[in-house]
Amino acid sequence: MDLHTLAAGLAMGLGGIGPGIGLGIGFSKAMEAIGRNPEASGTIFVPYILGLALTEAIGIYALVVSLIILFAT
Amino acid sequence: MVHVEIRAEELFAIGPLIVTNSMVGALLASAILLFAARWFTRRSGIVPSRAQSIIELPIEFLAGIVRGTGGTRWRQFAPLVLAIFLFVLTANWLSLLPGVGTIGFAEEVEGKKVIVPFVRAAAADLNFTLGLALISFVSFVAFGLRANGLRGYLKELLVAEPAYMTPLLTPIHLISELSRVISLSMRLFGNVFAGEVLLATMLALTTATIFILPLAFVIPGVFIGLELLFGLVQALVFALLSMTYITLAIAEHREHGSDEHPSGESPEQGAAPAHGAA
Repeated sequence: MDLHTLAAGLAMGLGGIGPGIGLGIGFSKAMEAIGRNPEASGTIFVPYILGLALTEAIGIYALVVSLIILFAT
Repeated sequence: MVHVEIRAEELFAIGPLIVTNSMVGALLASAILLFAARWFTRRSGIVPSRAQSIIELPIEFLAGIVRGTGGTRWRQFAPLVLAIFLFVLTANWLSLLPGVGTIGFAEEVEGKKVIVPFVRAAAADLNFTLGLALISFVSFVAFGLRANGLRGYLKELLVAEPAYMTPLLTPIHLISELSRVISLSMRLFGNVFAGEVLLATMLALTTATIFILPLAFVIPGVFIGLELLFGLVQALVFALLSMTYITLAIAEHREHGSDEHPSGESPEQGAAPAHGAA
């Protein structure tokens, strides 16, 4: 237990805030769109999954940084 | 305690080639796919049997998405996208089987006894995901070159729309092209590796309760169900992002903002090579 562990935890925790908010906004908008127009759910699905992946990439960067801190230093 | 190694462990070496346990996982996944393909193409019929419908379900699902969003030349890259999807899906779900990641040699590392498993989830090794991302990168550059020619491709890559913005925008454009490889590979690796760590942590947390409550059987089971879903979503995301990059590369034209209408410009031009590829 040294500062590396703390740094990894902080990197992941702080880095998870932004993608969390972003994913929530994206999901709520997708649900809203499906609620307004249920027939369009098939059309919404693919762009939604892509947007989810691109938003989530930021969180994954945080994960990678914290893994590097934990294992590679 | 939880022990997860970020590097794939070496099993043995054939000359200069070091075989790691994630390579074994990837080879197993491709062997399963090859045998399934051989078995199902030999006894496939026009009217599908029950087993054939099950194996055709993911292929039809993804082919429908590719046809719907891929523009007029979807037949050219549909096999690549489908192969990426099936390979990543098989590799991800293979890692959830019992014995994968748990059966192996016992080894002493820094005074502690750890298990070096024979088979490891292939995508929990950055080499596997980076290889797949490079395949995707090379293919979308190649599709862009073939669709627009060398001149058109370089012009699209290096010259911004108002010419005076070129020194500012071109580096950003180049970096964003290259960062696709990094984000594709890191996304798959991060998700699968985090899934492995999650399963190991849940098992370690609940093992202590095995004599009191059967939590050790229930809670990791729930998370394995979650990992089934994540494995599917990540395979889908990898294939769909590769498809989107290829579609963008094909659709790139002189003017900006044409990305949304890949089929609007030249339907005849797009239909001709599609027949050749089919």
